[in-house]
Amino acid sequence: MPWVTDIHPEKTELDSCVQCGLCLPVCPTFRLTGRETASPRGRLQAMSAVDQGVAVVDETFARIIDFCLGCRACEPVCPGLVPYGRTLEGARAEIDAQLPDRERQLSFLLGRVVPSRRLLDLATGLLRLAQSVGLIRLVPARMRRMVGGVRSLWGRGRATLGHAGGSGVSGSVGLLVGCVQDEWFRPVNRAAVTLLELAGHRVEAPVAQTCCGALAAHAGKSEIAARLAERNVSALSGYDQVVATAAGCSAHLAGYAHWGGASLAGRAVDVTVMVSEAIRSGRLPQVDGDRGPIAVQDPCHLRHAQRVTREPRRILEAAGYEVVEIDPAGMCCGAAGLYTMLQPEASSRLGAQKAAQVRTTGLTRVASANPGCEMQLRTHLGDDYEIAHPIEWYLRALQSGG
Amino acid sequence: MDLVTDLRVALGVDNVLVEPLELYLFSKDASLMRGEPHVVVFPQDTTQVAEVVRIAETHGVPIVPRGAGTGLTAGASPTVGGIVLVTTALDTIEIDADNRTAWVGAGVINLDLSRAAGPYGLYFAPDPSSQSACTVGGNVANNSGGPHCLAEGSTTSHVLGLEVVLTGGEVVILGSQAPDPPGLDLKGLIVGSEGTLGVVTKVLVRLLPIDPEVRTLLMGFAETAGATTTVSEVIASGLVPAALEIMDQRLIVAVENWLHAGLPVDAAAMLLAEVTGEAEGVDSQAEVISTIARANGATSIEVAATPEHRELLWKGRKSAFGATAQLAPDYYLHDAVVPRTRLAETMAAIYEIADRSQLTLVNVFHAGDGNLHPLIAFDASDPLVSERVYRAGEEIVAVCLRNGGALSGEHGIGVEKRDLMRAAFSELDLDAQARLKEVFDPSRVFNPTKVLPAGSRCFDYGGVRRPAADGVWV
Repeated sequence: MPWVTDIHPEKTELDSCVQCGLCLPVCPTFRLTGRETASPRGRLQAMSAVDQGVAVVDETFARIIDFCLGCRACEPVCPGLVPYGRTLEGARAEIDAQLPDRERQLSFLLGRVVPSRRLLDLATGLLRLAQSVGLIRLVPARMRRMVGGVRSLWGRGRATLGHAGGSGVSGSVGLLVGCVQDEWFRPVNRAAVTLLELAGHRVEAPVAQTCCGALAAHAGKSEIAARLAERNVSALSGYDQVVATAAGCSAHLAGYAHWGGASLAGRAVDVTVMVSEAIRSGRLPQVDGDRGPIAVQDPCHLRHAQRVTREPRRILEAAGYEVVEIDPAGMCCGAAGLYTMLQPEASSRLGAQKAAQVRTTGLTRVASANPGCEMQLRTHLGDDYEIAHPIEWYLRALQSGG
Repeated sequence: MDLVTDLRVALGVDNVLVEPLELYLFSKDASLMRGEPHVVVFPQDTTQVAEVVRIAETHGVPIVPRGAGTGLTAGASPTVGGIVLVTTALDTIEIDADNRTAWVGAGVINLDLSRAAGPYGLYFAPDPSSQSACTVGGNVANNSGGPHCLAEGSTTSHVLGLEVVLTGGEVVILGSQAPDPPGLDLKGLIVGSEGTLGVVTKVLVRLLPIDPEVRTLLMGFAETAGATTTVSEVIASGLVPAALEIMDQRLIVAVENWLHAGLPVDAAAMLLAEVTGEAEGVDSQAEVISTIARANGATSIEVAATPEHRELLWKGRKSAFGATAQLAPDYYLHDAVVPRTRLAETMAAIYEIADRSQLTLVNVFHAGDGNLHPLIAFDASDPLVSERVYRAGEEIVAVCLRNGGALSGEHGIGVEKRDLMRAAFSELDLDAQARLKEVFDPSRVFNPTKVLPAGSRCFDYGGVRRPAADGVWV
C-alpha cells in the first residue's frame, strides 16, 4: 500500500479524472508556469502514479503538491466532478505522514498557537505593539509576508467569542468566530452579530469552539484538523445554522463530512448567504441612497469551493453600491491560507496581478469576504485602498442612515 | 556532451525537466496512450526551439511537440520516448485589427486569442470543444474543427501564414498576409501534419468580425433519427447554420448532472443549433429550423433567452467528453466523418456494434458536417475490456468508411488512429505521404511513428514513372 493515512486520495476519486484538460486554463499556477506539473490534471496524475505504485511520496511529489494554492478553481469547470480539494487534503496528509521532517514548525503553529485563544491573544498583542511603534519589520520575514496586510489592531472592539443575544424568531445561529478572524478582523464578526440579530436570529458564539481547522487540513496536518473539527462539532451542536464570516472557514465547515462532522456540514453557511437571504426576504432593509462604485473580489473558497457569487453582490447593491467586477475568471489572489508564507514568489506574482486588476478600475473601495484575501490585497495595494467585508460595507451604509 | 546537458546549456536548467515523476506527467495527452519521455523542455522563444531541434538531430532523439495536452489521438504522447517540447511559453499575441489578422505564438490558448480579439470586434473561428484549454499550435497540428466550423471551415481556412522550425533548426515563414500568395501552398502542407514535418512556433491567423445577432436553439427528440433527419433537412433547405450539434441521452444526463442547464434529460437526443447574422435574418432562420424540427417529432424546442443561457448551453456541449468521467474512468473516441444523409443509418449501426460488444457507447457530434464522435466509456485497467473496445473501434471505422466516410474529421490521426490509415488509403497513397515526410525530416526526429503506419514507405519506386496516387489529397 503506497499510502499510510486513512484520508489518502482514493482510487475512485482519482479515476473520475479522464485528463480532458479543461481545468488547466483556470488554474493560477498553470497560468503562471504553463507546466503540466503545476496543473490540477498533473497533480491528479501524480497522485494516481503513487496510487498505482509508479511513483512514491517523495520530495518531487511533495514539490508538485506543495505548489498548489488549493483555490479549487478547477472544481466548478470539471465535468467529471473530480473532488479535487478532497484529494489535495489527502495528498498533503500523506506528505506530512511520510516525510515528517518537513515543515515541523507548522505543527506547532497550527496545532498549538492558532487554536489557543490565549496564545493568539498574546501574539496579537505583540503584533499590535509592532504596528503601533512601526516595528513590523521585527516580525520574522516569513510571517511578515502574511501579517503585513493586517488591519490596524487598535479600536477593534470587544471579541465576539462568548457572545449571546438576539430574539431567535428567525432561528438560532452558532457563530464560528474563527481564529485570526476574531482577533484581527473583529469588526467583521461584530457586523455579523449585529446584522444577524437585526434579522431576527438568536446568535451565540460558544467559548468551547476553536479554529475550524482549515489551515491545518490544507497543510496536511490531518490529526490536528480532525481534533479541531471534533471540538467544533460538539461546541456548535444544537443550532439551526452554523455561520462563519471568513470564506475559508465556511468552506471548510461545509466539507466537515470528511472530518467526522457530517451533522455540522449540512448546517454550515457563509455569512454572506445569511445576510443576502435576510435582505431578500425583507428581514434586513434595502438602504436608500447611491453610494457609488465599489470593486468586488471573490474569495476562491466562496466562489469556487461553495459556488457563492451572487450573494456578496446582492448585499453591496442593497447597500446602495454599484458593483464593479475586477476579474471575470475569479483567479486566486495568491493569499491561499499559508501560501504567502510557503510559496512567497508565486503568491507575490498572483497578488500583484490581482492588485493590478483592482487598479484598472480606478476605484479605491474594495469588498472582499475573506481575511486572507483582504491582507493580500492590502499588502499589494497599499494603505490608500479601503478594503472591507461586504457585510461591513452594508452595515456602514445602514448606520450612516441611508 | 550528453543530451540533457546540451539542453540545459541551451535553455537554462529550470526549463529542462528530468525527474521521473515530472516526466510521467508529460507521458500522455488526453488520449489513452502513454509513452516515456527522456526529457521535457520549455523553450522560451523560436530561437530556443531551433536550438532544441539542432540538439535533437545531433543526438538522433525524437521531438514530440506538446501544447496543452488536450489531443485525443496520442499525437503529443511520446510513444517512442525522446524530447517532449512544450510550447506554452510561446504565448505572444499581436493583433492587426485593420487587417483582421494576428500573429500568435503556438502556445496561445485558443479562447485567449478570441478574448484578446474581442475588444476589436473580432474572433478566431475554429472552436474545438477544448478551446478553453487547447493551444493554437495544437489546432494547426491537427487542423482542428469545432462546432462552428460548419459555416466557417476548420483551422486551415483561418491560417494565413506560419513560422516553422525545420530540419537543421532552420526558421522559415510560410504563407503571408496576402490571401493567395504565389507558389506551392507549403503552409497548407504543414497544417494538419501533427508535428511530423517541423515545429510550428508562430501562426498568422485570420480573424472574423463578431456576428451582430445570434440565436441558439435547444431541441429534444424522442428518437435519435428525428434529430439527424432534422439536420439533413435544415441543410437541404439552403440554410447554413453556424452550428448543428447532436448529443445523445446518456451524455445529456451526465452533463446536466454537473451543469444544471435545463437540458432535456428525457430526450433520446438533443440538437443544438445556432444561426448568426442580422436580427431579422436569424429570427426567420430560427423559425425554419423549429418548423423542420417539429415536423420530425421534436418534443421540446427552446431558444436561449440570454447570452448567459447560450454560453451555458455551449459549455455543456463542449464539456461532454469530460462528463463521461461520470460513466467510466477512460474513454476511447473516434472522429469519423460520414455524409449527412447517412447519419441515421450509420449511428444505428454504431449503437448495434456497441450493444453486441457489451460496451457503453455515447455520441456527441458535429451533425452539420457529418462528423461523428462515438465514444466508448470503459475501464482501461481491464485488458479484456480494452481489447473489446479497440475491436469495436475498428468495426465502427469500417462502417463509416463503407458509408462513404473518412477516418478523421478534426482530431488528427496520431497513434490511436494510425493503423486504421490502411483502411482509408492505398499503399501508393501512404507511400507518397511517407516520401514527403522524408523530404522534411531526413533525420527522422519530428514526432516519429505518428500519423503514418509502420512500413508506409514499402515500395521503392526510384526511377519508375509513377501514376498519380489515388485519393491522397482529397
